Amino acid sequence: MNEKRQEWLFWGAVTILIAAIVHLGTVWLLPRVVMMRALDRLGTPNTMHVGHRPDATSRTIVRPSPDILYATCPYDLSKGPLRLTAPVVRANYWSVSAFDGATNNFFVKNDQQTTGNSLEVLVIRRGQTWPALDNAVERVILFSPSERGLLLIRAVIDSDKHLPALEAALNGARCGTVASAKKLR
Amino acid sequence: MNPVVRIVVVAVTGIVLGLFATWITMRGLPGAVSSGVWVTNLTTGSPASDPYTRARVALHGLFALNRNETIYYTATKDDGGERLDGKCRYELRGRDPNARWWSITAYGGDDFLIANPQNIYSVSATSVVRGKDGSFSVAVGGARGPGANWIPAGDGAFSLTLRLYNPGPEVALDPSQAALPSLKRIGCP
Repeated sequence: MNEKRQEWLFWGAVTILIAAIVHLGTVWLLPRVVMMRALDRLGTPNTMHVGHRPDATSRTIVRPSPDILYATCPYDLSKGPLRLTAPVVRANYWSVSAFDGATNNFFVKNDQQTTGNSLEVLVIRRGQTWPALDNAVERVILFSPSERGLLLIRAVIDSDKHLPALEAALNGARCGTVASAKKLR
Repeated sequence: MNPVVRIVVVAVTGIVLGLFATWITMRGLPGAVSSGVWVTNLTTGSPASDPYTRARVALHGLFALNRNETIYYTATKDDGGERLDGKCRYELRGRDPNARWWSITAYGGDDFLIANPQNIYSVSATSVVRGKDGSFSVAVGGARGPGANWIPAGDGAFSLTLRLYNPGPEVALDPSQAALPSLKRIGCP
């Protein structure tokens, strides 16, 4: 009887252990899977994609703001560093933010934190060769914690009549892989 | 019991239990701090967030910014503690929150914008019509009434997200101290 009880306890403990491993593993994995799926859905990597004003048909990313115009650059640093240049929109709110492969927001800069009319963001991985620097007025260099991630531009749509100008400004943003020159450690 | 069958039963039970625990813990956006009906989490978007917060934000609020840049409050219940229902009519009443810019948006149970013929999904610092004293009243749900401000909410469960872009330093430091609009249920059909 005692042996039977011990056997039940043993298999019960194994079941709980398996459940704990599966639970913790899925919780860890979820943001990474969600991020990879989102990056795939957002379009060609290392290219700028300007969306339309979010409405009820916008179903790529959960909880979009209908008052924000979004431009996205899903990046993949496997072929080299990435450069984004974007005209700064000085209105109610504008920002460039960066998200790593686990969905963490590891960088954000808004229009009030910039001085020039445009912002350049270089995204690089440690150990990657350094791109040739151009004469950008304002530059930020980011070390991405992951090979894949996202640069996201947000601009508040303060009225419908300003929408074409906002769209034009976001369409002026560029992102792409850049040639390398110097190795970083 | 056959040892092979026993191992399979234990493995399947463990996997099912593990997935069930994940499903239970992933429902809705994480909340830890509240101000009235509005709930937020201090580590949303931050690399310092715990694995549960990170996973829940990924599922229900992907690409959220950190709280110094933007604070996201969610309301799923009214002032009386009842779940929000699009068939009912509510009143949001308050003043501009302490932030550079703000918006309040309604989302369906699937975390997407709620389809409506008027294509109205939100009110914001730039669109809300204020009274002479600077306060505003926004009808939420039900049919459009005589008021200037209205957010349709479909005919099922919904939630509201209040975004504060560049919140004031006091709010960023302690989001529970923010003065935010109240949400009163007016009636249900």
